[in-house]
Amino acid sequence: MPLDRREFLKYSALAVAATSGMPGFLARAATQAAGSGSLKTLVVIQLTGGNDGLNTLIPYSNGAYYAARPNIAIPKKDVLTLTPDLGMHPALKPLMGLWDAGQLTWMENVGYPNPNRSHFASMAIWHTADPTQAQAEGWIGRIAEKIGDPFCASNLGSMTPQALRAADFSLPSIDGVDNFQLKLPAGLDAPFGTMLNASRTGEAAYLQRATRQMIANTQKVQQNVSKYRPGAKYPEGKFAAQLQDAARLIAAGTGQRVLYVTLGNFDTHAGQRAEQDDLLGQLASGLAAFSADLEAQGLADRVLLMGFSEFGRRVAENASAGTDHGKGSVMFALGRGVKGGIHGDSPDLENLSEGDIRYKQDFRGVYAEALTRWLGLDARSILGGDFKGPGWVA
Amino acid sequence: MSLTPYARKLSLEDAAHLLRRTAFGATDAQIRALAGRDAREVAREQLTFSDERASGNPFDPAQAVTPGAGIQLTRGAWLFELLYGPQPLREKLALTWSNHFVIGTDKVRNVPMLAAYLDLLRRHAAAPDFAQFAVEVAKSPAMLRYLDNDQNRRGKPNENFSRELLELFTTGIGHYTEQDVHEGARALTGWTFEGGRGKEHFLEEPRFVFRANQHDAGSKTYLGKTGNFSGEDIVRLAATQPQTAVFVSRKLHRAFVRDVPDERAVAASAETFRRTNGSVRAVLEELLASEVFYAPENRAAIIRGPVEFIVGAVRTLGQPRLDAKQVLGLTQTAGKMGQLLLQPDTVKGWDGGREWINDSVLLTRMQVAAALTLGGKAPELKEQPSPLALLGRERSPLGAALDGLGPKQRTYLTLISPEFQLA
Repeated sequence: MPLDRREFLKYSALAVAATSGMPGFLARAATQAAGSGSLKTLVVIQLTGGNDGLNTLIPYSNGAYYAARPNIAIPKKDVLTLTPDLGMHPALKPLMGLWDAGQLTWMENVGYPNPNRSHFASMAIWHTADPTQAQAEGWIGRIAEKIGDPFCASNLGSMTPQALRAADFSLPSIDGVDNFQLKLPAGLDAPFGTMLNASRTGEAAYLQRATRQMIANTQKVQQNVSKYRPGAKYPEGKFAAQLQDAARLIAAGTGQRVLYVTLGNFDTHAGQRAEQDDLLGQLASGLAAFSADLEAQGLADRVLLMGFSEFGRRVAENASAGTDHGKGSVMFALGRGVKGGIHGDSPDLENLSEGDIRYKQDFRGVYAEALTRWLGLDARSILGGDFKGPGWVA
Repeated sequence: MSLTPYARKLSLEDAAHLLRRTAFGATDAQIRALAGRDAREVAREQLTFSDERASGNPFDPAQAVTPGAGIQLTRGAWLFELLYGPQPLREKLALTWSNHFVIGTDKVRNVPMLAAYLDLLRRHAAAPDFAQFAVEVAKSPAMLRYLDNDQNRRGKPNENFSRELLELFTTGIGHYTEQDVHEGARALTGWTFEGGRGKEHFLEEPRFVFRANQHDAGSKTYLGKTGNFSGEDIVRLAATQPQTAVFVSRKLHRAFVRDVPDERAVAASAETFRRTNGSVRAVLEELLASEVFYAPENRAAIIRGPVEFIVGAVRTLGQPRLDAKQVLGLTQTAGKMGQLLLQPDTVKGWDGGREWINDSVLLTRMQVAAALTLGGKAPELKEQPSPLALLGRERSPLGAALDGLGPKQRTYLTLISPEFQLA
């Protein structure tokens, strides 16, 4: 039975108090059992900067696509054919096996009403799932409130995205699982606890709460992560390392329902081909390794992955072989839990909105299916309304 | 309406508060030297900058053998200046502006470009003319490269800089249209730079050029005005919009007053900004000597960012010398905590405030504090800092927690307290 928000806050205050009593508070924090080994996990992949959907899932049979992009279109011969009209960017080749196995899905023309071409306003809309941006909390932060567990989701990386923020706290960011542990110099456990227990107000109280929560979170992770044995070789780079950390947390049963990983630099205003080709290569090789790892660990049934970017790019290229900010774009998902294939029509390049692809699928419908059909949560209470999805979750 | 001046002489705690904000922190002696003085006079004095730099800076980016090394040395040189420079407020303002007119070393990999950009931020640190500052930034090769205006040509303009000029550098979102973005990009066509391109030319100095044959000289309508606008015209139009005064003032309040600024106080600063035709110096001088700045609710109201945390700790410890390797290491550590100098994650820059804080960051702060106080390479101090220097309070609010500990351990625990992490 989900707790309401006030109950949740009370609950988390108690949980924090329980971990901060002295002495021995560190030991007590560790006693919160993970106990969630059978739960399903959603991994969200954020492509920051506005990934060009048209050069990701390519309408290679459409002459208008080639006409609009004389310099940066993906030549037909290079496209990884998926259907008679659509195919993937060649750098996504590592994902072909998943496509063939029916474990990869693409969703076309995803967006939201009154699209905003600011990176930051648009990203905030995806993070809050609120196109009016009235919500300051993130949609995953609201999941945490709903479930009543301040550890129900984690970001892999150094900065917590707005998606993982709740009213008075933010969910953990784990920048490297191995370093995610508290090491106090000898003899300072008790003084540290006393220092932390001084009575505080304002921002000092916020930092005090954050520190107590950190103590609990690190204990929880470190108690469990040694269980992981890698089942695949990951490529070099931070993105792949973060995916591997996600796999470790899942294998360890630390209990997060949502894990969040970001790949940046998709803002390809100039010289797009080289930049995006490289990024999509990192994306695909990282995801393929992650997926193989989960298979090898026997965890593939438990994990669903969903990827998005804040917007796509304009249909026509600019004079510097790049693209400016657009509106609708593609989303992708992978895992055994997806209904593989392409959802939605190939983008209509004859009927544009200010030079951009029009959105037909509201992204909140895509979220809604992940929430209800995968995580088993009440999407309405998290998204603030009923949104229809494309049927991407099997 | 301007901000109410702070009428009292500075108390010890007032002086400590001021130096936490304008100098990242200070020693007991530096704080005592300001006590009893007039707030306005002190603010004016602090805002008077000379060209003086830290002596003995061990980093020279011009000696780099690769672009990557050039960037590391540039970061090291800047952190050294932040740690040991004689003008911490100028450096704090340069840091603030680097988080306003954002560029990033992912794209800007030319050493003289970075040096010229930093010089520009220092020269305009307390700019008497914000519009002129904006024009010079817009023409700087670092910005031309970072936001692709060097590739903005007549015909199919590149909108990257034009959009961020309005959204992030001047008016802020909601005060312009998509059409303004488009027309602004047209006006900025033809602005580019020569030299310094390509990996092998990373030490070559680039220079701004205007290519008339790539410029769209037609009529443009921008922010409600129509004319044959040049790039310079549109940067000035954007920088002198009434809303720009509010947007820039809010940034200054976030840097100096509180993480969540009071909008009435921001409006008062914006009025001063407009009245003085965009004098950042006038806004800051008034702000740093105002009732608002010294109000109890605005003390300990800013969460120190990674660089402020590191520089604050070293300055509070009396600026012990760290070796070059330690300084370079600290630039990386700041990066790990989310603030790699000259490389914010996005063009919006660092959001600051509570966004600085998460589990991994808190753990890293504890490591930094341990390295500076307890570690094998921790500097030897003549004396441990007082509560006034560490926490801005004459009596430590941490009280009993520190009883019975050695001086280094007390300093360590204070550096990782919530109170030290605030300014």
